[in-house]
Amino acid sequence: MAYPMQLGFQDATSPIMEELLHFHDHTLMIVFLISSLVLYIISLMLTTKLTHTSTMDAQEVETIWTILPAIILILIALPSLRILYMMDEINNPSLTVKTMGHQWYWSYEYTDYEDLSFDSYMIPTSELKPGELRLLEVDNRIVLPMEMTIRMLVSSEDVLHSWAVPSLGLKTDAIPGRLNQTTLMSTRPGLYYG
Amino acid sequence: MTFRAAWSLTLRQGGLGIRGIHSPGSTAHGKEKMPPYTNYHAQRSYPMPEEPFCMELNAEQRALKEKEKGSWTQLSHAEKVARLLIWWQRVYVFRKKPITLTDEWKAQQLQRILDMKGNPVQGLASRWDYERKEWKK
Repeated sequence: MAYPMQLGFQDATSPIMEELLHFHDHTLMIVFLISSLVLYIISLMLTTKLTHTSTMDAQEVETIWTILPAIILILIALPSLRILYMMDEINNPSLTVKTMGHQWYWSYEYTDYEDLSFDSYMIPTSELKPGELRLLEVDNRIVLPMEMTIRMLVSSEDVLHSWAVPSLGLKTDAIPGRLNQTTLMSTRPGLYYG
Repeated sequence: MTFRAAWSLTLRQGGLGIRGIHSPGSTAHGKEKMPPYTNYHAQRSYPMPEEPFCMELNAEQRALKEKEKGSWTQLSHAEKVARLLIWWQRVYVFRKKPITLTDEWKAQQLQRILDMKGNPVQGLASRWDYERKEWKK
């Protein structure tokens, strides 16, 4: 879950989230480089007494600042597409769990071996036990085995919802009338909020 | 009508919040204070001062409250502004905090997060030394 004074993402629990963390580091570094370069150039422009009023053309620098952004964009796009395809790999999940969104709770169904379904309501702030996290705790948690690929089928009974667990890098919209699928693989045990 | 409802709700609740700090001057009582309505230092450059405008009604304000039980058209402009300010501050600026923001609860939450080893790789639990039960240096 999120902790106080957190700056970045929550720690990754699934391999996809690890990839996303690395990709975020990579892209953020590029963004910082570009921003600091632009800031530096602006400060140079604003603090110089030199002027040149008869510039006619600047072919060389124009070439550079056309090719270089294209290269930067490719550098960002390639890892991004790699992760996108990695998320869609066929991984033969061993378990299927269905989740239906309602206003305002989730209901889960485990129907692989025996039928089990339950509702999961958020615990209101007035009923929290000391030390519990406000707006995050629920009465019935969804319990999943670790280190196994699990297929989550997400849909909704009434309006649009979204089923998200940031540690696992998951966010899937629950759309009434539509079944969305996402796969989940947790590498360590624990309680994950979303 | 919601104005009235919010106002009467507060009066019923008794206290008006945790801070009982009065503002330096009294609120506008109508006759002598003109804009910027009171001694309250509301400036555009400093819109969110630390102390509330007034969280408890002092004597003049109770008189104001009594007065407003009559027809509102008899209140002067400054009095209306004072009422509005009190309400605005209570609803938007100095609101009632949830119980989970008290220090004791925050400490218990922290203990719970450490117990469940939340974010053990690079986050919070990775900075806690479990053997010595203290933060890592």
